[in-house]
Amino acid sequence: MKNSDNSSSSLDSRFNQTLKNVQGLLKGRSIPGKILLTRRTDPLEDPNLHERTPSFGRSFSENDAGTSDQMDTSMGSEARSTSKLNSNSTTTKLKPSYSNIEIASKDVQKSPIGARATDSARVTKFTKELSATTVILERLRELAWSGVPPYMRPTIWRLLLGYAPPNSDRREGVLRRKRLEYLDCVAQFYDIPDTERSDDEVNMLRQISVDCPRTVPDVTFFQQEQVQKSLERILYTWAIRHPASGYVQGINDLATPFLVVFLSEYLEGDIDNWSISDLPPDKMSDIEADCYWCLSKLLDGMQDHYTFAQPGIQRLVFKLKELVRRIDEPVSRHMEEQGLNFFNLLFAVQLSFNTRDPFSSCYPPVGYLPC
Amino acid sequence: MGAYRADEDYDYLFKVVLIGDSGVGKSNLLSRFTRNEFSLESKSTIGVEFATRSIHVDDKVVKAQIWDTAGQERYRAITSAYYRGAVGALLVYDVTRHVTFENVERWLKELRDHTDSNIVIMLVGNKADLRHLRAVTTEDAKAFAERENTFFMETSALESLNVENAFTEVLTQIYRVVSRKALEVGDDPAALPKGQTINVGDDVSAMKKVGCCSA
Repeated sequence: MKNSDNSSSSLDSRFNQTLKNVQGLLKGRSIPGKILLTRRTDPLEDPNLHERTPSFGRSFSENDAGTSDQMDTSMGSEARSTSKLNSNSTTTKLKPSYSNIEIASKDVQKSPIGARATDSARVTKFTKELSATTVILERLRELAWSGVPPYMRPTIWRLLLGYAPPNSDRREGVLRRKRLEYLDCVAQFYDIPDTERSDDEVNMLRQISVDCPRTVPDVTFFQQEQVQKSLERILYTWAIRHPASGYVQGINDLATPFLVVFLSEYLEGDIDNWSISDLPPDKMSDIEADCYWCLSKLLDGMQDHYTFAQPGIQRLVFKLKELVRRIDEPVSRHMEEQGLNFFNLLFAVQLSFNTRDPFSSCYPPVGYLPC
Repeated sequence: MGAYRADEDYDYLFKVVLIGDSGVGKSNLLSRFTRNEFSLESKSTIGVEFATRSIHVDDKVVKAQIWDTAGQERYRAITSAYYRGAVGALLVYDVTRHVTFENVERWLKELRDHTDSNIVIMLVGNKADLRHLRAVTTEDAKAFAERENTFFMETSALESLNVENAFTEVLTQIYRVVSRKALEVGDDPAALPKGQTINVGDDVSAMKKVGCCSA
């Protein structure tokens, strides 16, 4: 992974955005738009206060990009913060000393303090956006950054993924057509005897049928055969229509949030009490189709993570490398001098996340990995 | 970050890999051996995981670092690093799904392409508790193992049948090879560097017995 020359100004601005987010994370603060488990108790903090105690509880993050500048200038490289995660009470103290952050934060976009108002005010805003004859997706997306009320998710997800058209006059018709199209695909690709499938297709279906019963295995709702069959049809149909990647283990986990969200339009209460038999069959077919199309839209943006040689992942690794270079040049230089390859580093990091053995006990030496 | 903590002393560290088709029970074999746990509700493995456990062989502590990976073919290329430095392998199939046994040959080829020729390999027929669903006979598997010069055992991670034996056998065989090799070159086996990949000696094939203890 040598440096290439594909850095452009748009790449630059995206990097700066990421930098800003990383910077927020390092300070134990929230990333705009990301759901975090922390929340500050004092919206207008004292810049001299070096330690804050966030309240506990799951909540939507506040958009505090506007105040982070203040933190930087007042604390400089001595910036410290403590944050507590809601369940394990881990206290982290980080002392970032990155000179680049100050430079990058100069162009942090100012957003007004209190941009995120109370939930009911947000619901009103969402309702207003959604009721427009043509939904302005940019505005909806911006609103959605701070989270979407659960009951609005089906509608908003369909819109933001580009599945449902913004124009309300066309919406029902398009959805009807797309749902029928999905049914046609299922009939054409899935509902056929194995003798009409190629060996690769048989293998792929087998892989999917091995994975569906062990998808979300800890939620009984997903143990129902009908749910597993729905998932199987969605995944297989997607895989057949995307032969460059086909089904790759893990895609199953990307489909399940759609199932839950779209089912929530019809099934009440907690998912533990849901039964698929409470649902009219035609509704289930619509839901399945919506899941299929939304999964497709989601994967459209990252299919090259799953194709040969994984160019999408390589690209992300390059961005990470570039980010580290900007945030912490000495670390970046050290890695280069030691010939450490980011891809393998990530492999090792992923491994240590996956492993149940605490890596204090047995961390695989980097020598195990090809550099 | 937590400070390094040596949870135990060991004389040898052996890397052992688990391979085989998706859904044959690799992760449950690992959890049964390292934590004595079994889960009917396990998820598919994404990427790579590993766990360790130490056993005693003779008067030595042998620490097994066992790597577990996704069975889907697509993940094999990604995890070729997986094989590096492995001195033992459990090649797992599911006795109730014949296709997983048919694929053993491909797994064996891949294993041999990526590892030292002297790696200790055990063919493992898992889910032996599902007697009424059996699709691969013990005889077929044993014959295959003899032909391919690998060890063979049938296991049940669910019933905890032979899991301990399978891992222990592989580790003991690796130990025999390594300690014998060390004696040959006149080294003290305990002086071998810890945490390093240990090369299996050249004469391992001569020591292999086949079908040592099938169920």
